[in-house]
Amino acid sequence: MTLSEKIYQSAGLTLPAIATLTALVVAFLIDPYLAFVSTSWLIFGLLGMSLDIVWGRGGLLSLGQTAFYGMGGYFGSIAAINFSELTGNSIIWALPIGSLFGALSAMLLGYVIFYARMGELQSTILSYTFTLLLWSVIQTFKIDIGSASVLGDSGLSNIPGIIIGFGAEAESLGPNQALMTVIIIVAILYFLTRQLMHSHFGRIIDCIRIDSSKTELLGYDVRKYQLLNFIYAGAIAGLAGTLYALWSNFLSPSVFSIQEAFLPPIYVLIGGLGTLAGPFVGALMIGIMSFVLGGAAGGQTTLILGVTLILLVLFLKNGILGSLDSLWRKFLPDPNAAARNTNSVKIDVEVLKQILIDAEKQAGPAKNFSTIQLFKKFGGVIPVNKVDRNFIPGKPYSLIGANGAGKSSFLKTCVGIYQPESGVVNLGDDNITSSPIFERVKKGMGVKNQKPQVFGDLSVIDNLWIAAYSRTHDQQIALDISHKVLCMLGFEEQLGVNASALSHGQQQWLDIGMVLCLAPRIILLDEPAAGMTKEETRELSLLIRTLALHTTVVVVEHDMDFVSTLEGHVTMLHQGEVFAEGNIEELRKDERVLDVYLGRRKHV
Amino acid sequence: MELDYLATILLSSLSSASILLIAAMGLAVVFGLMGVINLAHSEFLMIGAYAALTVTKAGVPYILSIPIAVMITMSIGAIVEMLIVRRLYGRLFDTMLATWGLSMFFMQLVVVIFGTSTVSVATIPQFNVSIGEYSLDGYRLLMILVAALMFLFVYLLMTKTVYGMKARASIQQPEMAQAIGIDSNRVNTLTFSIGCGLAGFAGAILLPLVPATPTMGLAFAVKSFLAVVVAGPVALTGTVLTTLGLGGGSSITASFLSSVIGEVFFFLITALLLWLYPCGISAKWRRKL
Repeated sequence: MTLSEKIYQSAGLTLPAIATLTALVVAFLIDPYLAFVSTSWLIFGLLGMSLDIVWGRGGLLSLGQTAFYGMGGYFGSIAAINFSELTGNSIIWALPIGSLFGALSAMLLGYVIFYARMGELQSTILSYTFTLLLWSVIQTFKIDIGSASVLGDSGLSNIPGIIIGFGAEAESLGPNQALMTVIIIVAILYFLTRQLMHSHFGRIIDCIRIDSSKTELLGYDVRKYQLLNFIYAGAIAGLAGTLYALWSNFLSPSVFSIQEAFLPPIYVLIGGLGTLAGPFVGALMIGIMSFVLGGAAGGQTTLILGVTLILLVLFLKNGILGSLDSLWRKFLPDPNAAARNTNSVKIDVEVLKQILIDAEKQAGPAKNFSTIQLFKKFGGVIPVNKVDRNFIPGKPYSLIGANGAGKSSFLKTCVGIYQPESGVVNLGDDNITSSPIFERVKKGMGVKNQKPQVFGDLSVIDNLWIAAYSRTHDQQIALDISHKVLCMLGFEEQLGVNASALSHGQQQWLDIGMVLCLAPRIILLDEPAAGMTKEETRELSLLIRTLALHTTVVVVEHDMDFVSTLEGHVTMLHQGEVFAEGNIEELRKDERVLDVYLGRRKHV
Repeated sequence: MELDYLATILLSSLSSASILLIAAMGLAVVFGLMGVINLAHSEFLMIGAYAALTVTKAGVPYILSIPIAVMITMSIGAIVEMLIVRRLYGRLFDTMLATWGLSMFFMQLVVVIFGTSTVSVATIPQFNVSIGEYSLDGYRLLMILVAALMFLFVYLLMTKTVYGMKARASIQQPEMAQAIGIDSNRVNTLTFSIGCGLAGFAGAILLPLVPATPTMGLAFAVKSFLAVVVAGPVALTGTVLTTLGLGGGSSITASFLSSVIGEVFFFLITALLLWLYPCGISAKWRRKL
């Protein structure tokens, strides 16, 4: 790695660290009024970062961040008003309670959004509804909690300032010291979040954003991770709300308003989506703009803000940090250069066997896979009609049939994408008929869909790693396994290449490699040979035959030549039912099969 | 007497729901036929109201000011489509953010031009209808009829005209539509412009009920927006159902309890419907309009 690449890699740490130190010095020196105002910019940046976690990383544009911010603010302030007299210090009460309530409200909303598997637009709208619901409730909501009184429209006042000292004499910090305290709190949260997003958790969140169905096929409980990420962001927003309340000593229902709800997306867009540091840049710029224009232009800030937003969306999609990042990367060596000199994949049977034996040691022996009277219908169409099958390890099983025979529907019902109306699916000794997909994968099911499903923005090795990690939950073991599979596929040189830079055929192999990393005990392959060259198909056939010696393999396939090279058991489906079975020679002699396949009269 | 009271509440709730439907219709057309959420919709409504107000003050009869308002908003809509929306096709959330920026821009522009104060229109028809001992604002009741006619107009426009067929073809099978020679850009510009025109019509026709202010759109924005999204992909018919259900329901709740509880009812039912129908109530319907 060259020096410039090293600098680039660590830019997310060094630049914010430099910015923090500079900010601390500046905060000490500047005019108190400016220090007071700029504290709020930093707090808004923190609010923006909480959205960036959910939107830039998680992929959900949430308009509920200001709701968590407001909830955190209100409850944190109530805690501060009541308890700060006991200790003098206000933040040890306000910050934990504020972030707790931010997290709780995010949990409530996130549970509904993720566990109902809501559409993208509907999720955004529901989060907006949540904010507006709080807005309309809080406007008339009046309650006294201890010495804090929430007065509907008139808000909540008498909130103590930021007090870090202890004892009866402790006083609110002056503007400069308050700013420095907020800088330190924000910096801690930024580095914590960055660490989290660089850990396996962050990688899984990235995968969910790129392709959530593939992530679930790798055995991750997608909804759990989405919810956890949402709750974490809610806690950050709640903490930001509390800081805001302590800073302004006053809260009004307007924190939940429509105008407020759209501010975090603006900060994020200006700074750069998914950059984590971007929202701070965005909040700072908007803050400086309103500060400079504030007196002279009056309400014209809104006008400028509106136009800025339109221009940003149209012309600067990646925001300021995002654009600087792409500019910087132009001067670095292209990581995808290696994608251009790849050889065709050659499967080394001995290496593959070793991998499979290792997998067997870790994951146990191959499992049977059976369906009993499996039945699925869509309206009047019955694509899976009382199918009884028992698949065992040893030889590959092929499912054939004309278009619409029910092959793919059968496979999807086995995988768990379709819920059957009746019947049973067994994996080994477990009845998995109603298990969610990720649980089936954890029990040993591996699935390769027809289209290659790889995480395009992740490097080849990371793609394999994320699959291996799902099973092992150990970073180092996962890395070892992915290296072995990488070598077997002959992708050593493309290790750091983005998966999206690979050709279609290579992506197919990478996808198969990811399935191997899962060490599945039963493998379901949907038309794996589609779009492959003759040579690749030959290698694939070899791979499948080797796999079948160690695991149970079921292949759905159209290509008869390919099916005959598998030398396995063939089942032909017709109108959702098992029509014929045996080896390929027997089927070729069967008159009824020829009738259905070639469209002769009798059985069509 | 109880019966009179009930009838009054039902009628006034139905008219509230109709007003919501009038405000939401353009949004539903644009969402249903283009898959675009126009967050500046409520500002087109406001522009329609100001346009009608301005020409009425200049001496034009109120009834004639309505088509003028429609034409002005349609033209602005066409320009907005060509300058902004067209560049963002297929990027739903970017369109939302850009049109939200546009709505801020329009709102502030109107403040700059007209100021924040309200001017009422004197020449607008005022009459009352009485049921038993209760009396209802006749113009409000008239809105039920207006909403029905408006829906009928849009429905016929979409099903009986060449434009309507092209528009529906463009949204159902965009590539196929282009392959058979439909210029989907032009169709989309027209659709967006019609959506904005419907908003302008709403602003003008509601002027006697909702005085023109720069922020008048906000009151409708949120609710019509939610109604359309809850309606889902079959936006037009779906929106009729959701506006009647949500708008009518919250209005009935409001008249028996309090207006805040009415609002809460609206948002809670929206959340409940989204929980039950994660992709909108019409996600599994077979009809397409």
